[in-house]
Amino acid sequence: MPFAARAAGASAAKNACVPLIVTRDLRKVFRNAKRFPGALGALRGLFSPVYEDRVAVAGLSMEIERGEFIGYIGPNGAGKSTTIKMLTGILVPSAGEVEVAGIVPHRKRRENARNIGVVFGQRTQLYWDLPLVDSFELLRAIYGIPQDRYRRSLDAFIELLEMGDFLRTPVRQLSLGQRMRGDFAAAMLHEPPILYLDEPTIGLDVVAKEAIRTFVARVNREQGTTIILTTHDLADVERLCRRIVLIDHGRAIFDGPIERIKNEYGRERTLVVRFTETTSAPTIPGARLESVEGMTARFVFDRATQRVDRLVREVSDRYSVEDIAIEEPELEGIIRHIYTQGYAGEERSA
Amino acid sequence: MTTFAPYIEYARKAFAREATYRIELIAEIGSVVLRVYLLRSLWTALYAHNAAPTGLPLHSMITYTTVALLMSLVLEVDGTRVIREKLREGGIAVDLMKPIVVPFAYFSDGIGQTLLHAAAIVPSLLFALLLVRIDVPSLPVLAIFCCSLALGYGVNFFVNFLMNGVAFWTLETFGLQLIVRWISDLLSGQILPLSFFPGWFGRAVFALPFAAIYSTPLLVYVGIIPPAKWAAALAVQAAWLAATAGASFLLWRAASRRVVVQGG
Repeated sequence: MPFAARAAGASAAKNACVPLIVTRDLRKVFRNAKRFPGALGALRGLFSPVYEDRVAVAGLSMEIERGEFIGYIGPNGAGKSTTIKMLTGILVPSAGEVEVAGIVPHRKRRENARNIGVVFGQRTQLYWDLPLVDSFELLRAIYGIPQDRYRRSLDAFIELLEMGDFLRTPVRQLSLGQRMRGDFAAAMLHEPPILYLDEPTIGLDVVAKEAIRTFVARVNREQGTTIILTTHDLADVERLCRRIVLIDHGRAIFDGPIERIKNEYGRERTLVVRFTETTSAPTIPGARLESVEGMTARFVFDRATQRVDRLVREVSDRYSVEDIAIEEPELEGIIRHIYTQGYAGEERSA
Repeated sequence: MTTFAPYIEYARKAFAREATYRIELIAEIGSVVLRVYLLRSLWTALYAHNAAPTGLPLHSMITYTTVALLMSLVLEVDGTRVIREKLREGGIAVDLMKPIVVPFAYFSDGIGQTLLHAAAIVPSLLFALLLVRIDVPSLPVLAIFCCSLALGYGVNFFVNFLMNGVAFWTLETFGLQLIVRWISDLLSGQILPLSFFPGWFGRAVFALPFAAIYSTPLLVYVGIIPPAKWAAALAVQAAWLAATAGASFLLWRAASRRVVVQGG
């Protein structure tokens, strides 16, 4: 019996109505030796080390259902990678609970490993000096995939990811886009029910990015693979994920559908007005002037308190207007705002 | 369910990977042949001015150093060097996310590298034979030599494993690496027979694990360890193998509890 079906099947029977991934008050504190500046400082650190605690994950609770596509985002150092490492079982939590498909990952690292596939954008699991297909053969042996099933999934990946041309090329000669496609196939050859993607599109050109996105969306849709995507490319998230978990300073500061974060923060709209003549310091009641550039002015207003038709009427009554446009905020702008201003949910005033 | 299939594949891929470095292998063969010649000259000159030390005539000495150099082709392969490299670069995370026993995978990788480098023994030996004459012992001695070499290979692997495993705590092991390499080269009997060391020091070096790597198989080969003492000599090697393997197991267990993968 294929192991993937066996592993997933066993846990599915055991936990029919339990979420696939559960963390409860998950914490990870790193203890680092404090470094002192200079050569004498280095010596001091050597003989009387002083330790500092750094809280990477500070009480994270979340539940992820089978088949979800999660965008796990946050600024650098927020604790994203640490969380993923705990979910994969290679890092032991300092406190709290974690369960993936009914398994506590760090207790049964190898059993958990059969249920997961991992892609790192900045690191490859392929054998650098050997033809791409050699890495796939090694994975076939590692996961004990039967020859016929291996052949079938490899053929499918070769077609989907268009790998036919470079299957026998040493990995070090591949372009980044080709290598990433190889890494995706490598992570999914054993058909894992869970996929962790860590910045999978970093450094790729637009075409390669789009190919990867299309592939991942398809895997999630057709095979029901649960995917957790960690990225700084919010276009990836906007395109692929239905739910966002936003983490900062080791805490989830937002967890919900993309629409909600957009509604809460997307209350601000920008009214872009192009005048027929140069207009210094134009004003519209109920809107804040953001900038004036030549004959174009940008006003920011709160969609919840101000009506667009009134603002448009006001501005055209007062000035000679050539064109008016309304801009909606993009996810990237919203997230940038939260990173710099902090998240305050519903209470935030416009 | 544990099968050997993944580990056999790790060894095969390591063999294939090493085989892509052809120039390096050719250089290695050249280096061994050159060293065989230099050491022959050195020992010939030394023996010309001194009485032969205890029971080791010149031809035995040359046999000893030549076989030691051929052994180094397989024993200098450090399959655990990857631990240090992968800890620095964070690649160890990728291995730990696989359903494998990671030290087994590294051991298999080392075996694959060793097998390729072992292939270099034949041409090295042929070239060496053009320069020196070495004694060829009887079949039983060769058989015991091979067993002893296999045990020595195991001890060597675990000594390297322990040394590289320190990187889990320090991340940097280069200094330690140099010191252990020096000590090991000298005290394992790779450069000269351990019986050359005088007094208590001479007795102490036989009590260290390094002697189980080069010295025991070589002393079996040149006949300084007589058949009556074979069992005892191999038992000491086996004991060191068990001890270093046990220590490696403890180190790995402690290390996997505190994996700190670099970066991110």
